[in-house]
Amino acid sequence: MDDAPVVELIDVSKVYQMKAGDVYALNHVNFSVRRGEFVAIMGPSGSGKSTLMNMIGCLDVPTSGTIKINGVSTTDMTDDELTEHRLNTIGFIFQKFNLISLLTAYENVEYPLILKYGQRDHSERVKKLLRMVGFTEDRMQHTPYELSGGQQQRVSIARALANDPTFLLCDEPTGNLDSKMSTQIMEILSDLHKQGRTLVMVTHNPETAEYADRVIIIRDGEIVGEE
Amino acid sequence: MIVSLALRNLKLNKFRTILSMIGIVIGVFAICAMGMVSAGFTDEMDNMITDTADTLTLSPLGEKVVGGHTAVGFSEKDVRNIESATKSVTKEYELVPYYNTYKPVTVGKDLLTASVYGLDSNDMSGLVTLVSGTWPKGGTNVIVGEQFAEDNELRLGSRISFLGVSGQEITCRVVGIMENTGLLTFGIATDSSILGTTEWYSSVVGNNYGLYDKIIIKAYDPEDLALIDEAVDKKMNGKEDKDSDNTVSILNSYELMDIFDEIMNMSSIFTTVISGISLLVAAVAITNVMLMSVKERTREVGILRSIGTYRSQILQMFLYEAGLIGLIGSVFGVALSLIVSPVFMMIMGLEFTAMFSVSVLSYIPLGIVVGLVVCLASGLYPAWKAANLNPVEAMSTD
Repeated sequence: MDDAPVVELIDVSKVYQMKAGDVYALNHVNFSVRRGEFVAIMGPSGSGKSTLMNMIGCLDVPTSGTIKINGVSTTDMTDDELTEHRLNTIGFIFQKFNLISLLTAYENVEYPLILKYGQRDHSERVKKLLRMVGFTEDRMQHTPYELSGGQQQRVSIARALANDPTFLLCDEPTGNLDSKMSTQIMEILSDLHKQGRTLVMVTHNPETAEYADRVIIIRDGEIVGEE
Repeated sequence: MIVSLALRNLKLNKFRTILSMIGIVIGVFAICAMGMVSAGFTDEMDNMITDTADTLTLSPLGEKVVGGHTAVGFSEKDVRNIESATKSVTKEYELVPYYNTYKPVTVGKDLLTASVYGLDSNDMSGLVTLVSGTWPKGGTNVIVGEQFAEDNELRLGSRISFLGVSGQEITCRVVGIMENTGLLTFGIATDSSILGTTEWYSSVVGNNYGLYDKIIIKAYDPEDLALIDEAVDKKMNGKEDKDSDNTVSILNSYELMDIFDEIMNMSSIFTTVISGISLLVAAVAITNVMLMSVKERTREVGILRSIGTYRSQILQMFLYEAGLIGLIGSVFGVALSLIVSPVFMMIMGLEFTAMFSVSVLSYIPLGIVVGLVVCLASGLYPAWKAANLNPVEAMSTD
């Protein structure tokens, strides 16, 4: 099982039925991500990147084909099983950070830990994770509205790492940041990769994609190249 | 954390939360206050009439000519006929004919009007209870009601006077104080009454040409009471289709109690419907508020779902919110009813202690449970809707 790819897509298609006819958001896509790899999925707007990300992230299911996470097919999983995968196996990092506005930075990182392990003292791990992504301790009790974009993304990365997921799934992680902050965030992600983490990153930015080991090019729902 | 999120959202939208709570406060208050007042009133009425609820009260109908005079009342022959009808049903009964009217009485310097009763000394103990003193004997001793004594500062040995039938002043001594029966009683209402022997009554009021004003029949089995009612009616009132020949009007305490219970049940249904409508309005308002909350927090729900929150937990989060609104609103509604209900009860002439009966206090848990259930039921659809949002679509909402 250890040799199995972390993520494997076998002939995956996603079809939306429209009045004008079927639209293939993904058309017979095949690829895999091995443990420890940093893979970027690149493509222009409307190419099917987000659909692909949602499939890998167990947020959506394909119309046909098989997606395997850690060698286990997610195709016939129930909603609760998919949710369990999202909680335990995948660490999400979003373009818009997607922190919970009612919670502080500390609580945002603590939240997945409570979901997985229940209400107990998680302070040591939360603080360790926030320090690891360069988040200063004096801002831990601040809500997302009181943080800059860069700070929010650091919290988002710490949250994604909270439950020690099998891989990190990053959706345009620097899309809402300036170039300086983008570099800092990409450095953090690059460090995580160097520590052995598996990363799958969706981006349209070639500079960001440069941090990846492998770049998969997608266009009109099909993989058209790999660099 | 789920509870904490629910609490924080309620705090974040304080004004909206308070508005939806007000609906529940009003609904629960309406249920509790109306229920408490109604239960208190029913309890009090039951207490007041239960002691005398084994009674048939007979009043005469139609005039009689006695010695050339016209009068209304029961003759000795009527009494014998009624007694024989009663005996045909049971041997265990008490039959007491008595005189009764309103009569001016002088207490100290005050001239008052009191309800005066005259009956055989041997019958008194069956109808009234003495709290102090002795039973009256002869033509100048009387007993008075506790309330009457208190209102007029009368004690044992005090004197009151009447203008007798022949115009002379008759001074009487209070030899006993009767226990209050309350005004709602089927026997003799003692509270503001003066009671003496038939001899005393004849000298003070006259003897109504030998005709009694009322007859009380007591039987200890409700079934006997109904049968006596039937037997007396048959003997004294003749055929059913000739009401004009009736000589007796019969007041059956059990029948009246049934009617009273029926009225109270109707009143209870009415108040429940009114309260139900206000709760329904509150429920609609809460559903609306919760739906708005779901709409506003669609993106947040999407994020929570994407990072591993189960559908059931999203459902719980919204139900906690509805439950908290319900619980806090219900507690305030019950508290408000506990303040207002005693005031209403006292306005209706009930004692403050009427609040402390089990049937009144049972509205406290009932109000809280009803408020909570209504809120949870109102929050169920919005919570279900939130739990079933598609995470991808929800996250893309701004």
